[in-house]
Amino acid sequence: MPELTDALWRVMLRSIRRRPFQSVMFVAGVALGVAMIVAIDLANGSASRAFGLFTESIAGRATHQITGGPTGLPEDLYVRLRTDLGLRNVAPVVTAYVQALELNDQPLRIFGIDPFAEAPFRGYLDLGSNSNTSTAAVSMFLTQPNTVLMAEQLATQYNLKTGDKITLRYGPQRYAVTIAGLLRPTDAVTQQGLQDLLITDVSTAQELLGMVGHLTAIDLIVPDKAEGDALLAKITAILPPGATIQTATARSTAISGMTDAFNLSLTALSLLALVVGMFLIYNTVTFSVVQRRPILGTLRALGVTRGQIFALIVWEAILLSIVGAVLGLILGIIMGRIAVAVVTQTVSTLYFTVSVRSVSIPILSLIKGVVIGVGAAILAALIPAYEATTTPPSGTLKRSDIESKVRRAIPALTLAGLGIVALSFIALSLTNLVIGFAGLFGIVIGFSLLTPLVTLLLMGAIRPVTGRLMGVLGLMAPRSIIRSLSRTSVAVAALMVAVSVIVGVSAMVGSFRSDVQNWLNNTIRADILISPPSVSANRQEVPIDPSIATQVRNTPGVAMVGVARNVQVQRPGDALPVYLTMIDADISEGHRPFAWAIGDFNTVWDAMGNGSVIVTEAFARHRKIPIESGQSITLMTDRGEHTFPIAGFNIDYGSDQGTVLMRQPIYNSLYDDRMISTVAAFIKPGTDINTVIQALREKFAGVQELTVQSNRDLRSSVLVIFDQTFAITTALNLLATVVAFIGILSALMALQLERTREIGTMRANGMSRSQLFRMTLLETGLMGSIAGIMSLPVGSVLAWVLVYIINVRSFGWTLQLQLRPEFFVQAVAVALIASLLAGIYPALRLGRIQPAIAIRSE
Amino acid sequence: MTVSLSTSASPVSSLDSSKPPLVRLRNLTKSYEEAGHLRVVLHALDTDIQEGQFTVLLGKSGSGKSTLLNLIGGIDVASAGEVWIKDTCITRLNERDLTLFRRDNIGYIFQFFNLIPTLTALENISLPYELRGNSRREGEKASRVLLERVGLGARANTYPDKLSGGEQQRVAIARALVHQPLLILADEPTGNLDEDTGETVLHLLLELTRDAGKTLIMATHNPEVVPYANMVYHVSEGKLVTDSELNNKHP
Repeated sequence: MPELTDALWRVMLRSIRRRPFQSVMFVAGVALGVAMIVAIDLANGSASRAFGLFTESIAGRATHQITGGPTGLPEDLYVRLRTDLGLRNVAPVVTAYVQALELNDQPLRIFGIDPFAEAPFRGYLDLGSNSNTSTAAVSMFLTQPNTVLMAEQLATQYNLKTGDKITLRYGPQRYAVTIAGLLRPTDAVTQQGLQDLLITDVSTAQELLGMVGHLTAIDLIVPDKAEGDALLAKITAILPPGATIQTATARSTAISGMTDAFNLSLTALSLLALVVGMFLIYNTVTFSVVQRRPILGTLRALGVTRGQIFALIVWEAILLSIVGAVLGLILGIIMGRIAVAVVTQTVSTLYFTVSVRSVSIPILSLIKGVVIGVGAAILAALIPAYEATTTPPSGTLKRSDIESKVRRAIPALTLAGLGIVALSFIALSLTNLVIGFAGLFGIVIGFSLLTPLVTLLLMGAIRPVTGRLMGVLGLMAPRSIIRSLSRTSVAVAALMVAVSVIVGVSAMVGSFRSDVQNWLNNTIRADILISPPSVSANRQEVPIDPSIATQVRNTPGVAMVGVARNVQVQRPGDALPVYLTMIDADISEGHRPFAWAIGDFNTVWDAMGNGSVIVTEAFARHRKIPIESGQSITLMTDRGEHTFPIAGFNIDYGSDQGTVLMRQPIYNSLYDDRMISTVAAFIKPGTDINTVIQALREKFAGVQELTVQSNRDLRSSVLVIFDQTFAITTALNLLATVVAFIGILSALMALQLERTREIGTMRANGMSRSQLFRMTLLETGLMGSIAGIMSLPVGSVLAWVLVYIINVRSFGWTLQLQLRPEFFVQAVAVALIASLLAGIYPALRLGRIQPAIAIRSE
Repeated sequence: MTVSLSTSASPVSSLDSSKPPLVRLRNLTKSYEEAGHLRVVLHALDTDIQEGQFTVLLGKSGSGKSTLLNLIGGIDVASAGEVWIKDTCITRLNERDLTLFRRDNIGYIFQFFNLIPTLTALENISLPYELRGNSRREGEKASRVLLERVGLGARANTYPDKLSGGEQQRVAIARALVHQPLLILADEPTGNLDEDTGETVLHLLLELTRDAGKTLIMATHNPEVVPYANMVYHVSEGKLVTDSELNNKHP
């Protein structure tokens, strides 16, 4: 950019100071946009970093890991690896999430290890002479059963010390363990990774988790290259059926990748706030240029080059946006702390258990926020800065010149808008999710380019009506909107975008919610559901004894019982685990909805009896299985690899990753696991459900810790989780509206200030304050109405895109779009209220200015 | 062509007609399109203006005198014809060179003063000087001398909105002279001032330009400046008419 002289810097800096309102608006636009981006980035990053650190600290220096089926690995595999193959760098692991009662039921990972095999793997467990853990603690841990080691930081948090007992709950069982010692890792990274671990020896863990004789995994350090390949071949040869060996990072990378779509959608929403913020910046800069045209003209006459004028405006934007970005960082960090909690909860509900206790603030996130904020501000300032350079170097400029230029540009803007919308739909037809979001943004931007035309047409049409209703004031208001079209249309566009997003997102969430409700009603027709308390909100994997089903069946009033078993199994060539659900009866009573099936439900059920499975639609979409006939899926079983024909693809919102459904006889023939996860009971007609529930609770009290819920309670608890999951969406939506509100407030304020002189003249000629007030509110109300009206079709298109394209690609769920009238009423109301509120301050302020002063104002 | 030399307060003491003219207009035409019709404001003007002269462009509102001034100063674009200033045909310059030419060679005085509201009186004056790449210190030194000359030495750090109209125009005069331009253009410099203040400002402008030996072209509808002018043109119906031509038309 051309160099600015000292004098021009002074002109710029002082004009920033002299227009505090606009400067504040500009700064606010950038600050809010940056804050949203930073907050979401911190939240997304904290959750995935916590997960990363955690898996890293668990994996240690292991290069490979052997895992098994639902029952884990037989213990003797470890012995064979050590004795038959003579391996030294091999360590057994028995692990699962438990809840610690003394630690507010917080989920902790019990991590059972063999202390003597650990040394090569996990440094922090090195209990030798270099350890920070005391010798007494080490010897207690090594010699006494039911002892655990935990991070000192975690213990301090809950006032726990060595020797204290804590109660762990795993499914229906409670288990007391003693804290043998506290781990004090020296580096911060390990410290964070250890936060959620309870380290114990293998046998304690086996007993606690009901895995006596079994291991969850075996860690290995395998050398590189040929030597390693040879060793891997030898290991593979002795693996039992159902066991697989994979690199240590493969699974954790795949698991953390599951949240990519979720993170991306949050990022897209946060970017949306920035887009709305850009409208605000554009408006502010345009106004400052328009307002300063006489000064710019004088500068041009005095020999300031066009390049210098351009640089003047752009530098001004840069300086203000840096201030905004810095404020945005501070605000973003504060908001980020709140967002982390919400995001973590959603991630734990939908994907994997993760707990984040500290929000790390990576410098990269901050730099990213500043760069995006300042970049967006420069981008938004480019057009007005260019406009400024076209200021003729004299005082001959007429305001109408700019407006007539905008008027002439309307056909081009409209065509460009339609073109962008068309291109966006092409982009949406591609499968890439990032391009999909780009398409979504394109639609928003494309439609905003239609605002000038729509404003012009609507105001032309409404003028006779408002004129008849409100006389001369009614004639003036629509005209003054058209007269300042270059700015009014931008304010309208900003509000329209925000309101359309509200319509789109609430229609999507609303459709989603009602689909989930229907799905719950259809698939869970059993009256009572019994399950152990669980760490994960949406998937119950803790095993319970099958005898519980018999106890339920024998309870008076119970007519029929169905059991289910949820496990994770391997699919050859797939790093992600497959959620497999075994069922012995159909609790949907044939109401399970299908995207495709070989026939009616009875046909499907019979096919399942002969070895077919059902997979959910989400599973098929994530695993790229075409939803059509003739498909099959191969899974690792305890009898080795087995291929199952797919009898149907059912619609299911239970899990984002999707599940495979298998009937009990088939499961029992292929897997050794005989535990169950949940029991569903149908009661006899005419029996009081509460009596049966009470009877069941009494039966289990003090023996088994089980949750007995009525169908209705379960449904409502699922919906509570649903609402929690979408809480962040609602919050982001609200923030976008706040930004838009500031946008329209700033635009109106600017427009009214610009007209101070004109209004002074009208006041001098007898316009009362209340007339002025009414005229201003009529103007702002009209602008709000245009935004509201435009948001109806635009919001519907956004809803359609979100439901049928973005959602399917992000989560694999097909929803039925429901555009309920209340979404639209809400949209118009939001637009109208925001614009009327935004008009109050300018109206009051103008009313207070003495006409004599107003007339003098330049 | 009549040269009306005033007797008492002539700004320019002598004219050297052997020198080439400072400003040459050749076939200069300006027209606007209005509702599909072409309105010609200035029609094929051919005139020379000598260096050191005080030239007055007289005319009614809308006669085109300001347009002519803007064309000479290179802040408006001619529809046809040429404007030469010394050896430069400014109508052929590209936008950037024209700006730089203006920066170095033209001083402007506007009817509405057009001071930069965010700069003090002193800073306003030194602005053109600094725009040429001179240091702020040098600029303020040169400006202070001029500020004293226009009688506002005590108001150096005052912002324009605290100055009266006459004071603002005095600052504007100083600003037009500070970078020693070849040509000073004044568009109704007293048009926005009361009679007494206008006269004071006019005398100050004439005195300063005379002392600096500058060429001044002033557009005005105020016939009271005529006695001071070396040359008076009436702008009428798109043409330049000298006093004598006017007298011949309307004896």
